[in-house]
Amino acid sequence: MRREINFTLNGGSVKIDVMPNEKLLDVLRDRLGIKSPKHGCGRGECGACTVLLNGKSIRSCITLAIEVDGQEITTLEGIEKNNMTDLQKSFLSHNAFQCGFCASGMTMTATELLTKNPNPDEEEVREAIAGNLCRCTGYKNIVEAILDVSKEK
Amino acid sequence: MKKELKYVGTRAVRLDGLEKVTGAAKYVDDLEFGPGMLYVSVLESPYAHAMIKSIDTAEAEKMPGVKAVLSGKDFPEKFGLYLKDNSIFPADRVRYIGEQVAAVVAETPKQGEAAVKKIKVEYEPLPVIQDPREAIKPGAPLVHPDLGKYEVVPWLYPQPGTNIGHVRKIRKGDIEKAFEEASFILEDWYHVPHVVHAPIETHISVSLYSYDGRLTMWNSTQSPHTQRNIIANALKIPHKNVRVVAPYVGGGFGGKAGINMEVIAAVAAMKVPGHPVKLRWTRKQEFENSSQRQELYAHIKMGVNKEGKIIALKHQLYWDVGASAEYGSNVVNATGFSATGPYYIPNVYIDSFAIYTNRPPCGAYRGFGYSEFHFGIESHMDRIAKAIGMDPVEFRKKNAIKRGEPVAYGVEMNPTGIQECIDKVAEKIEWGKEDKSPDPNKIRAKGFASVWKAPAMPPNESSAAFIKFSEDGSINILVSGMELGQGFLTAMAKIAAEELQLPLEKIRVELPDTDRNPYEWQTVASHVTWSCGNAVMRAAIDARNEILKTVSRAYHIEKASLYLEDGKVKCFTDPDFELPFEKFVINGIEMPDGTFRGGPIMGHGMFMPEFTSAKVNPETGLGGHPNVHYTTGAGAVEIEIDKETGRIRVLKMAEAFDAGKAINPDLVEGQIIGGFVQGLGTALWEEVKFDKNGKILNPNFTDYKIPTALDVPRDMNPIIVEVPQPDGPFGARGIAEHTMIPVMPAVANAVENALGIRIKEVPITPEKILNALREKEQNKQ
Amino acid sequence: MNNFDYVKPATLDEAVSLYKRYGEKAKLLLGGTDLIVLMDAGAVAPDILIDLKGIEELKKLELDENFLHIGARVTFNELIDSPIIKEKFPLLWETSRTIASTGVRNKATLVGNICSAVPSADTAPALLVCDAIVVTAGESGGREIPITEFFTGPRRTVLKSGEIVKEVKISYGSKKFGGSYIKLGRYDGEDLAQAGVATLVSEDKDYKVAFCAVAAKPVRATEAENYLKGKELTDEVLEEAAKLAVKAISPISDIRASKEYRLYVSGVIFKRSLKTSLARMNGNGPAYGERLV
Repeated sequence: MRREINFTLNGGSVKIDVMPNEKLLDVLRDRLGIKSPKHGCGRGECGACTVLLNGKSIRSCITLAIEVDGQEITTLEGIEKNNMTDLQKSFLSHNAFQCGFCASGMTMTATELLTKNPNPDEEEVREAIAGNLCRCTGYKNIVEAILDVSKEK
Repeated sequence: MKKELKYVGTRAVRLDGLEKVTGAAKYVDDLEFGPGMLYVSVLESPYAHAMIKSIDTAEAEKMPGVKAVLSGKDFPEKFGLYLKDNSIFPADRVRYIGEQVAAVVAETPKQGEAAVKKIKVEYEPLPVIQDPREAIKPGAPLVHPDLGKYEVVPWLYPQPGTNIGHVRKIRKGDIEKAFEEASFILEDWYHVPHVVHAPIETHISVSLYSYDGRLTMWNSTQSPHTQRNIIANALKIPHKNVRVVAPYVGGGFGGKAGINMEVIAAVAAMKVPGHPVKLRWTRKQEFENSSQRQELYAHIKMGVNKEGKIIALKHQLYWDVGASAEYGSNVVNATGFSATGPYYIPNVYIDSFAIYTNRPPCGAYRGFGYSEFHFGIESHMDRIAKAIGMDPVEFRKKNAIKRGEPVAYGVEMNPTGIQECIDKVAEKIEWGKEDKSPDPNKIRAKGFASVWKAPAMPPNESSAAFIKFSEDGSINILVSGMELGQGFLTAMAKIAAEELQLPLEKIRVELPDTDRNPYEWQTVASHVTWSCGNAVMRAAIDARNEILKTVSRAYHIEKASLYLEDGKVKCFTDPDFELPFEKFVINGIEMPDGTFRGGPIMGHGMFMPEFTSAKVNPETGLGGHPNVHYTTGAGAVEIEIDKETGRIRVLKMAEAFDAGKAINPDLVEGQIIGGFVQGLGTALWEEVKFDKNGKILNPNFTDYKIPTALDVPRDMNPIIVEVPQPDGPFGARGIAEHTMIPVMPAVANAVENALGIRIKEVPITPEKILNALREKEQNKQ
Repeated sequence: MNNFDYVKPATLDEAVSLYKRYGEKAKLLLGGTDLIVLMDAGAVAPDILIDLKGIEELKKLELDENFLHIGARVTFNELIDSPIIKEKFPLLWETSRTIASTGVRNKATLVGNICSAVPSADTAPALLVCDAIVVTAGESGGREIPITEFFTGPRRTVLKSGEIVKEVKISYGSKKFGGSYIKLGRYDGEDLAQAGVATLVSEDKDYKVAFCAVAAKPVRATEAENYLKGKELTDEVLEEAAKLAVKAISPISDIRASKEYRLYVSGVIFKRSLKTSLARMNGNGPAYGERLV
């Protein structure tokens, strides 16, 4: 049942054999060394495992690796070219995160939002990140950091 | 006189910020251990209470990829933090659904899961007890028939032959006489169910046992040294041969304090020397077998006199600590000493019972029991204020404890800014000003609560710190406090920065590694800023003395003439003298004859509160000094209720806490907001639900709802008050847990102010609101 | 999760014949946001997954003279982002926004939602009040199933072995209308409905009402619809209609809500939804997507 899949990962091409029942999250973390998406709930409910599939945020814990054959995957490792993005800089200066475990997923979701809608209002930001659970911060600084990026533009 | 502070109290980017926003921060699961890694899978008990008749692992051992199978017969040891009632694997009896019965070590997780299914266990089910009010009755089925044989610290009192793991009593004044004199008395029950910490990172351990008898563990933990101590003692390994490394923790909230599943990883590793083994809890296991917050049934009888002063309190707390009280017994203990709330009450009678049931073990949870009992106390405060015709805020101010007044166990209250906290919150929430919803279906109202909390610690808890300089004048601070997100690293850096006048960018603070970093009891109790902060301050002063001594010796300048500024040694009497740290902190100072003075500069510091004592009279709770100090504060909410559906939204919050001195003001504000939102979850949505067999019905985020970005107030107002703590670093005391405490009662009080109904059981769901409204209508008719 | 085989056919015919061949041993994969969770829990253990995401024609999202066609591969976020949906089918747009979270909506599909057929299926009330038609492909050429006949019970539909839902189509008329979907959850974040109701009001005083999460399957409240037909929505009419509407439902008590609460609150949200739909038709209601509870 093992299959070879090919996909674009953070701009580079990947060729790897997977079993159909391997999750994208496990393949990224355990076999490709991509550690930014995290295990949180295993049911697509916490958002810690969020990556971009063809630019759209998805839950890699409920996505099969085999599903991304021929597609393009972007993780936190891939959004910064040589420098942090404006979003990351804003998260940093706002002290947006505490424990940081949700940071990668939150960043990927917010990256998608700002691409789709460069000037979201507060409710649009909250709506977008509502599927990314953070147990530490109460979301205030995260929301303000995202809004600040849109203001700067 | 200290000159103006340059680093402490200023705003700064947190030290761990860059790592966390770039994804560079490593959590245990992110570490690489190579292809030799094995995986631990756990067989869980399907029964909440049963005898284990037999365990047959033969078939599992033959499954592909299986390296070892472990079960209770190999591990008779009991372990625990305060009361050794916990099993590595239970040998004869399971006590809750999800308890580890056996484990498999295999080459892949899938192989392990397959093998676990082949373990045959024969159980004989026993009666299940889930309600602490039933479990405390004589004749109830016993969860721990061997309670009398367990090792326990001297200040806990398990009652063999019952389900009582500990009872803390306070008997101060003459309670009966005081109730006779009271002009108004209110008595009622309050209920706070089990909730879970729900850190986004579940518990995880990677453990490696090497052939030379050394055990190394990489754990997601708040307590590296305490884990080392428990593991070393339970497994009979010399402490020097147990090493606990703690990378970043993806959320703790007390759930990663002490030890729980890590012990399984440790014994699994010992079965397969040379191989790292990984054990990572699923979200379901995190609910079933990490630890929960105790359930509380509290009965409160409070009496006031004609002037509106509280003169008597009888507070009985029945805590469900689940199947183990190894940690939770101290929650029961701590709240027993403090269940007056932040008020001076001359006559106090408290019973706080730790009651075993067949529910998952409970332990530390942000607030350490104070959230739970404040729900009752602060609900009661509002109800009494209303009944005697006093404004609830005024009533709190009138009774709030003042510096020097005795707390329940008799010791004088420390300096406190509680009056200022109450005033500032009242002002920010615009107490007394009515606000109308534009939607006719909705009604708005405000609710208030004031709170206190002390760190709950053994009397001899302690912290230690090393500071070492490098060639470029930068320093590494070695401590074993844990960065849980609260900003510990930044706080320690600022304290050292202030004492050494060294810019923050020249400072690193290292995450714990019990081999390399000095001792810290645990990162719990909101005490590390205070305790470890004191140790770092002393280490920095020690390093500063070394610096001054070296320079003084080399240049023959009096030490008293020297001072530090911007990473340089300067001289009061010679404005031209300036010696940057990098010129000498490693290689010393060259003398005219080519010899050198000095050497690598280091500093060390330790701190233990030498005034505390757990030796109290067990019948009265008096005579000792169990707590170091109390942090006080207040919180308020403005809510909007949809009268038709019963749904509540919190529109605005304000909370003020007396931090003594906010080392990192913006991170203190972050704690206030984050803690408030965690409290909001418990006020409105969160509850672990069990079926009649003791099985959790909602071990997932589908049905255990923690707040999302859409569910929090848009208007959040954190307020910092600073009345210095005399023995705190720069006057600081902890505030992080406290921020959760006002929320449940503040919301309940707002609901009463909105609708005239009193909800005495959280979470305050729309159904409870509608039922109470219906009852109110019926009572009218 | 068990081992299984995986195929990704490029045509619908190929998918149909594979599905026929494997029958009950096969599962169809669209977004997978429900299926993978079930498989992980061991609740579903297929021998083979047939991934429909390789079939180009299932991506269809278009409006022809009479119908809106929503192909099986169309995700909720594609619906939300589509100007056609937002302008011409605002009820469906409003409904789509209530589903899970954006990271789930990027994969989850409307067709997947109805095929999972959980009682709380958020899309069902809107599709029911629109009299949507489920179009299938099968060996015998497929069929058109009125959505009102599609659901048969919890996680059960009329679909036969080997039958694949190709699209959902919704007729589009020129009548002025207003609609609303009210989902009552435990909070504003991602949640399953405790009770959900969609209503559709048109200028000729025709009223459509459907519920989810308050019966073994999503249901239309036809008795209430018949009563309402041709009437002005006075308070008395609303009260009477609410009584008839809740006769259509038979909620249970579960971890999300009690039977009593669901019964009571269904009446509340029914009335609120109907009033909102009417106001929207008349151009003076809250914008689509605004919170109604």
